[in-house]
Amino acid sequence: MVDLSIILAGFSDAFSVINLLFVLFGVALGQFVGAVPGIGPIMAMAIAIPFTFALDPLVAISFLVGVNKGGLVGGAVPAILMNTPGTPDAAATALDGYPLAQQGKPLKATKMALFSSITGDTFSDIVLITVSAPLAILALKMGPIEIFALMIFTFSVLAGLIGTSLIKGIMAAALGLLVASIGSDPEHFTPRLMFGYWELFDGLALPSVAIGMLAISEILRRMTEAHGTMRAAITLDMSSDPDDRRVTWAEYWGCRYTMLRGATIGTILGALPGIGSTAAAFMSYAFAKASAKDPDSFGKGNLHGIAATESANSAVVGANLIPLLTLGIPGSVGAALIISAFMIHGMQPGPLLFEQQGRLVYGLFGAMIMANFVNLWVGQLGLRFWVKVVSAPESIIFSSALLLCFVGVSMATNGLFGVAVMLIFAVLGYLMTSFGYSIVIFIIAFFLGPRFEKSLAQSLALTKGDLFLIYESPVALALLIMAVVSFFWFLSRGKNAQG
Amino acid sequence: MHISADRLSGAFFLLLGLALYFVVIPAQVETPEGGNLAPQTVPNFISFVLIICSACLIVRPTDHETRGARSFVLGGAYAGVLALCIFVMSRFGFEIVAPFMSLAIMLMIGERRPLWLLGGAILMPLLIWFLVTYPLGRALP
Repeated sequence: MVDLSIILAGFSDAFSVINLLFVLFGVALGQFVGAVPGIGPIMAMAIAIPFTFALDPLVAISFLVGVNKGGLVGGAVPAILMNTPGTPDAAATALDGYPLAQQGKPLKATKMALFSSITGDTFSDIVLITVSAPLAILALKMGPIEIFALMIFTFSVLAGLIGTSLIKGIMAAALGLLVASIGSDPEHFTPRLMFGYWELFDGLALPSVAIGMLAISEILRRMTEAHGTMRAAITLDMSSDPDDRRVTWAEYWGCRYTMLRGATIGTILGALPGIGSTAAAFMSYAFAKASAKDPDSFGKGNLHGIAATESANSAVVGANLIPLLTLGIPGSVGAALIISAFMIHGMQPGPLLFEQQGRLVYGLFGAMIMANFVNLWVGQLGLRFWVKVVSAPESIIFSSALLLCFVGVSMATNGLFGVAVMLIFAVLGYLMTSFGYSIVIFIIAFFLGPRFEKSLAQSLALTKGDLFLIYESPVALALLIMAVVSFFWFLSRGKNAQG
Repeated sequence: MHISADRLSGAFFLLLGLALYFVVIPAQVETPEGGNLAPQTVPNFISFVLIICSACLIVRPTDHETRGARSFVLGGAYAGVLALCIFVMSRFGFEIVAPFMSLAIMLMIGERRPLWLLGGAILMPLLIWFLVTYPLGRALP
């Protein structure tokens, strides 16, 4: 168990002035990019990671968490004002947010989104802080065989849950593992699939692959659809009735059960790999509508609709870190990016993190709680400004984002070779999304690839080359059975034929 | 004749899997003696998975529809411009190439307003140069 002094030291680190400033900067940046349709917090995190090299690990990770949290709040702004979600998570918010804005209450809608987002986020952070250390102790009892089985289970769940086709999900995971195997072999350190490029001896650089697949490929996609025009957004009318521009305590309190349910759904789904915040938001919305006395009012500007979706999608952020911190397995792309930040700063996420870097982990928890308060404060002050940001032209946004990606990857990989690799993965990501292959599964498999191979090698060593001896470990056997059952369950649901 | 997007990508991955197994892995993976896991085991297993899954996809494709040809041409054009910029950047550096790259991208997107073009081509590269060179103290490409 982590010593109380380490916990307190971690929290005191989190509340240092420099950390507070970077959390503030991260949240403001996140809200800004979340409000710009086409960028979003994931792309912003990917671009920002190389710029955090020079920072202290806690400051860097707190900054990225701030970007992620702020992005979810910012993503609701274009959903409400333009019916164009800044992030996929906010798509469900538009269902009631946009009609409410059309009724002349855009500020009420955005403020309800802000308050419910922070409520859900805080709820999941408290769950994360409470359960992650005990879970990490349990996870420490897992050996290589169990870890290997857990990864097989994770891949089967990811392939089944993300995207529309199980077969394509498996292929995306296989491609991610293939790309992860480029470089020196982890056991013999002999060159593998390097084609004479010795720059690849240490494997493909995380920033090149992550930024190429997540940021540049998305920018390429958006650029092919862009027209260089300004979008029409609902403007704020500051002379309207004050009650239409704020959320009263009675209105907030009236949504408490909706938010609590949304936060619970978001936390549970966020803790499971692969499901993600978009599914949580829509599920919470469906539950809220089903349990409402006036379900017909949903879709017409009901505050409960906004509260349900925003509390759920924001609750996923904290819960996503549960499998990351306890097992070292990212449950989403956002978590995969956080993992890459950990690795760039020389840390391996997983149960040992609590033992070896307990102070950092509790510093991160402190920063997450602080980020929620900062999110509320920045949101209250910035909403009027973000409303203007939604209409910024794509041309300047995309060209600037591209420059930042070039510079960031060049700094991270010490040269333009990494930038060229980034462009190759951007094209690969563009083609994969065009043909319906999930880049989320690809990225997570790429991150897990080295660990997957290492645990397989260790398992073979333990079983003296006979993997069928895996039945001697009940946990591994149970995980493998669950993997097979989930595979056939997804197959029976016809995902591979539904497109 | 209409070709399913899944059959097209399935055929590509089938060829990739076969090429990996028969050509690429034998040529590009060294095989040392001993150890628990040979270096080619995981890549070979992946190529098997790709071959089997792509065959399944060809036999039983989904109804996924890909983007139109125009999108691919435009995407290719943007990627081509970026590749050219990387090449030119390796010769002349970020400071020289960045404004032209930014301008080219903005014009391709369809931006024609002089103020925005000026902001994107001059101010943003300048801001990035300042951020990287002074607060971060790092070298630009």
